[in-house]
Amino acid sequence: MNKILAGLLFGLVLGAIDGATAWFYPETHSVIGGILVGSSIKGMLVGLFCGWFARKVQSTKWGVLLGAGLGLLFAFLVAAMQHEHYLAIMLPGFITGAIIGFLTQRTGMPSLAAKRQA
Amino acid sequence: MDVSDSVLDHLRHVAALPDLSGTRYELESEIGRGGMGVVYAARDRQLDRRVALKVMDLALAGEAQLIARLEHPAIVPVYETGILPDGRAFYAMKLVAGARLDYYLESAPSLGERLRITRRIGEALAFAHARGVIHRDLKPQNVMVGEFGEVYVMDWGVEAVAGTPAFRAPEARLDQRSDIYALGALLRFMLPASPPPALRAIADKAMHADPSARYPDALALLADIERFQDGLAVEAWSEPLWHRLRRFASRNAVLLWLLAAYAGVKFLLFFLRNL
Amino acid sequence: MRLDPDTTMGGPQGQFPSTQLSLLEAASAGATLPNEALERVSALYWKPVYRFIRVKFRKNNEDAKDLTQSFFATALQRDLFARFDPAKASFRTYLRMAVERFAANEHAARNRQKRGGDVEFEPVGEQAALSESPDDIFEREWRRQLFALALDDLRAHCDACGKQLQFEIFEAYDLAGGDRPSYADLSARHSIAETSVTNYLAWARRMLRQFVTERLRGVTAGERDLRDELRRLWM
Repeated sequence: MNKILAGLLFGLVLGAIDGATAWFYPETHSVIGGILVGSSIKGMLVGLFCGWFARKVQSTKWGVLLGAGLGLLFAFLVAAMQHEHYLAIMLPGFITGAIIGFLTQRTGMPSLAAKRQA
Repeated sequence: MDVSDSVLDHLRHVAALPDLSGTRYELESEIGRGGMGVVYAARDRQLDRRVALKVMDLALAGEAQLIARLEHPAIVPVYETGILPDGRAFYAMKLVAGARLDYYLESAPSLGERLRITRRIGEALAFAHARGVIHRDLKPQNVMVGEFGEVYVMDWGVEAVAGTPAFRAPEARLDQRSDIYALGALLRFMLPASPPPALRAIADKAMHADPSARYPDALALLADIERFQDGLAVEAWSEPLWHRLRRFASRNAVLLWLLAAYAGVKFLLFFLRNL
Repeated sequence: MRLDPDTTMGGPQGQFPSTQLSLLEAASAGATLPNEALERVSALYWKPVYRFIRVKFRKNNEDAKDLTQSFFATALQRDLFARFDPAKASFRTYLRMAVERFAANEHAARNRQKRGGDVEFEPVGEQAALSESPDDIFEREWRRQLFALALDDLRAHCDACGKQLQFEIFEAYDLAGGDRPSYADLSARHSIAETSVTNYLAWARRMLRQFVTERLRGVTAGERDLRDELRRLWM
């Protein structure tokens, strides 16, 4: 599968899940829809860049770092828009980005080759 | 004419030495005795290099021709063949500088290194089998590890004269599957004291008493070893569940750690918030 | 036995055609060996059998000689060879075992005639005192005689071909009992080049090897036996 497409998909799914975890904070229930959409878009953006990067560079390490960095950046932007919940948004966003970066590096290649290049 | 003991021994020794007159080689010393004949170190006067000379009865030279034509990094290259003045046949080949496998193992190499050597041997075997040549006497004494780590399999095609029974397949007629048996025995020989059960199982499968239950060819055995090295399931071993989970975890370690970190962070934030 | 003179120093032509028949070939006519084959066997095996009997059965010189003579006169005449199975052992081993049986039977026969059963010899148990087993002694004496005969052949061949010098060099070096002369010594002594010394020795050794092989061929069962014995022989 095309890495960019994979990135978008991973980003969408993981971003949605990340957004969905906001449900554990009851005060967000009214705006949970918006959070979900926002998170998904955030994830897809990260996935897009990571997917594009993964086509150019085959390095699990750098893919993870890029994803983490972008995840942190976008999470920061979202948190900044609300002027609060910085930590609660940025930290998970950081890790979600890392996971997206990792998965985009690993897709489409046989797992042995991926492991050898890690 | 009465022959004293010392003269007798001397005559036995010198009459056995190959007469190299008429060849470009100068005899140096005896290196060893294989099933086929005696191997000497000699000097090639023309190219000014040392070679190994294998001297054998003409009758045994037939199969050796076939083997001499094999070209593979793990098969010792033959430089020249000929007939000595005393009627014996000789092969001049590369003099391998290195250690015999059983001695090499005394330096306690890593498991990865042992498996690398096994792979080289298996590749040579597969190559030869594809060309109709069977080794028949594969054992550590017939494998050399060179000074650069290269691996050579020697003494092809001679049925073990006073064979090392541990490496000889039980069946009477030796064929490719008997070589697979020997490869399995070699693998077991090379494994450390408490080997990973998967590798032990691979060796056992190769050494099955029934030839048809063994690996069909050397490449299949090597593929199983490769699967082991990549953390995949091995054909020869049906692993218990906990081992399968452990394998899964180690192969997907990065992802599992990331997920664990995510979950951890989430929980931490949640509980900190509620404090 | 006329041998083709060796005219070339190198090259495969150095080998002369084999005129010897193996024991199997010689016996192909019937179950017994023809006289010629028996003579060949005796020539090689007399001394080793004698020494073997002396050591293993602790006989004195006279008794050992008698037994040996008796063995060759009677045992070999009797279908001895017919029972030989080349697949099981070499002819040498078979003959040794035949000697053991023969000597044991003789001893039993003699004891039956005696009263009191005064044991003359003990076939086992005494061997611990010896450094070599009687079997090893038998093999060594057999080898010794084999080479002795081959050396006689070589000397005769050299005389016949006018290669006495070659034999002298060979004798001085390879048959030397104590210290061996150096190639330089030999070269000086006989006024020839050192390379000639090397070449003569190589030639003589090559010829010796062939004579040994020929002698061996005449007292082994066939190709397989011959090859196995040769493999044992060369150090």
